[in-house]
Amino acid sequence: MKKKFHLSNLYLILVFAVLYLPILYLIFYSFNAGKTMDKFTGFSWQHYLTLFADTRMISIVINTVIIAVLSALIATLIGTFGALGIQQLRKRSLRNCILSLNNVLMVSPDVIIGASFLIFFTFLGIKLGFGSVLLSHIAFSIPIVVLMVLPKIDEMSQVMIDAAYDLGATKWQALTRVVLPAITPGIFAGYFMAFTYSLDDFAVTFFVTGNGFSTLSVEIYSRARQGIDLEVNALSTLMFVVSLLLVGGYYALTRYNESKKIHRARAAEEEISQ
Amino acid sequence: MAGKVIEFRHVIKSFDETQVLKQIDFEIEAGKFYTLLGPSGCGKTTILRLIAGFLHPTSGEILFNGQTINEVPANQRQVNTVFQDYALFPHLNVEQNVAFGLEIKKVDKKIIKNKISDALKLVQLSGYGQRNIDELSGGQKQRVAIARAIVNEPKVLLLDEPLSALDHKLRKEMQGELRALQQRLGITFIFVTHDQEEALAMSDQIFVMNAGKILQSGTPVDIYDEPINHFVADFIGESNIIPGKMKDDYIVTFDGHDFECVDAGMKTNEAVEIVIRPEDLDIAPANTGKMNVTVDTQLFRGVDYQITAHDVNDNEWKINSIHKTTVGQMVGLNFDPEDIHVMRFGEDEATFDARLEQYE
Ligand SMILES: Nc1ncnc2c1ncn2[C@@H]1O[C@H](COP(=O)(O)OP(=O)(O)OP(=O)(O)O)[C@@H](O)[C@H]1O
Ligand SMILES: [Mg+2]
Repeated sequence: MKKKFHLSNLYLILVFAVLYLPILYLIFYSFNAGKTMDKFTGFSWQHYLTLFADTRMISIVINTVIIAVLSALIATLIGTFGALGIQQLRKRSLRNCILSLNNVLMVSPDVIIGASFLIFFTFLGIKLGFGSVLLSHIAFSIPIVVLMVLPKIDEMSQVMIDAAYDLGATKWQALTRVVLPAITPGIFAGYFMAFTYSLDDFAVTFFVTGNGFSTLSVEIYSRARQGIDLEVNALSTLMFVVSLLLVGGYYALTRYNESKKIHRARAAEEEISQ
Repeated sequence: MAGKVIEFRHVIKSFDETQVLKQIDFEIEAGKFYTLLGPSGCGKTTILRLIAGFLHPTSGEILFNGQTINEVPANQRQVNTVFQDYALFPHLNVEQNVAFGLEIKKVDKKIIKNKISDALKLVQLSGYGQRNIDELSGGQKQRVAIARAIVNEPKVLLLDEPLSALDHKLRKEMQGELRALQQRLGITFIFVTHDQEEALAMSDQIFVMNAGKILQSGTPVDIYDEPINHFVADFIGESNIIPGKMKDDYIVTFDGHDFECVDAGMKTNEAVEIVIRPEDLDIAPANTGKMNVTVDTQLFRGVDYQITAHDVNDNEWKINSIHKTTVGQMVGLNFDPEDIHVMRFGEDEATFDARLEQYE
């Protein structure tokens, strides 16, 4: 019994080590005084200083974040209403058909999607740049949002909507006061998935950036072709820290809400027993 | 009395090709407690949903205070529903759930506050206002659902098997509370259940349904004592149903003997079924009663013994007796003429009522 416990722990440690070692390695060398990752020659902030002085890189980071925030927002809006629409479909075959179309977009290779966007945009005469990247990110995020939101809608009891009508709510009131709050977790999950997909995306973006506009992944790729600069390490370290803070913040927030809930329940109990 | 609140005229409801309600006619008077009673799938919920406005009749008319409401949408009807699984809003607390209907109607905030506190007091949940829904027990959720409905002061309250998720004890308690609540508020209740005991205990008026039809309507006593047919007799409580023949007015033959009864108005020698309730049968020494039966089983139930026996024609008899007998023994059975209830085959409710009117 005890031995088994140890083994499983060892397994976990191994898995996490394999997952995190490359990142830690990268972080470690971001503080290197030397110019390469071959040898650690001493501690220095120099790569961070270069990064902050690199206005092109900073503006690309900002662009990337703006694209991610905007595309996720718009995709969440469209995807949520799309999921609501799909749920309303009476005919099972039609619903399955639309869902399959949705899933095909999810699994088809990014390269193909990227290439087809490129053809599409040039055909329509849309100038490549911020607009084309935003449009394509919105487009590939919508299926993700639909997939995250739809289960929440299915899970929600249909009777609850009847209850809202029963109490006099109009269609709009039922939607805003009952349906949307009930599926909020799904909407948030969809938003964050879309956000990270947009941040991550290389293949699609690579096709539609054009000249003059770039996102982080495309920029790092083009720089890496000339050999990795430790400035990239510094940037990655900062981004890793930011994601750690985000995850930690999310955890703290849920903990806070839980404890508040328990606290309130206790208070109510006491009030009643008095 | 205030008269009819709801009336169904020849209402038929079909889903695709299947007719779920077959020509439903009834009237609901203001201020009474009505129960729709019937087995699973007979169409009880469908009737409630038609009244609430979630469904629309395939044909026929539904009237509310004398006005057709076939086309009135659910959110404009003066009825509220307590749903089978409560359908409370999980993202709102108790108070916000109860306030929902009033806020939609844009009632003044202060008035809402007062009404909520009154409603919560009525269902004995004062002090629970700030609780989340997932922090409530089944019985408490049930009460919140009732408070959320009655706070809107509907003309009619629809309750779809609201007690079915509760344990036996709480269920009994809530039956009493619901009945008391209805009498205090004076609102018409239409209550759905498939539990005959519950229906008999709570209602002013019961509609017994089967397979999309209302078979019989009446007070609990009427329906218990004078079921219209085999199905109703069997569904409402335990009963002995024996084939017989109507020899003449007030004389019925079964088990090879003639018995005096209180039913009449049938054809001579018409084949009928007779019903005798187990608690109306008294056990006597063999050959001293009106007939003899042999005891097969005996079960002690606390208040009485539940006995099954058979007669010479192999009809089974259920008897509830406070006296003990012995299994395998022959005993006599005694009953009064008014304990025998005669049912005709295929008689509809109108003819049944007219005949009873004439002869009883
Ligand atoms: N939306 C629907 N589409 C098709 N058939 C339906 C629909 N709703 C109900 N039915 C059918 O109508 C019949 C009556 O249903 P209903 O829900 O009224 O029964 P019920 O008497 O309330 O039963 P229970 O006691 O189980 O709740 C059932 O046979 C059911 O299958
Ligand atoms: Mg039902």
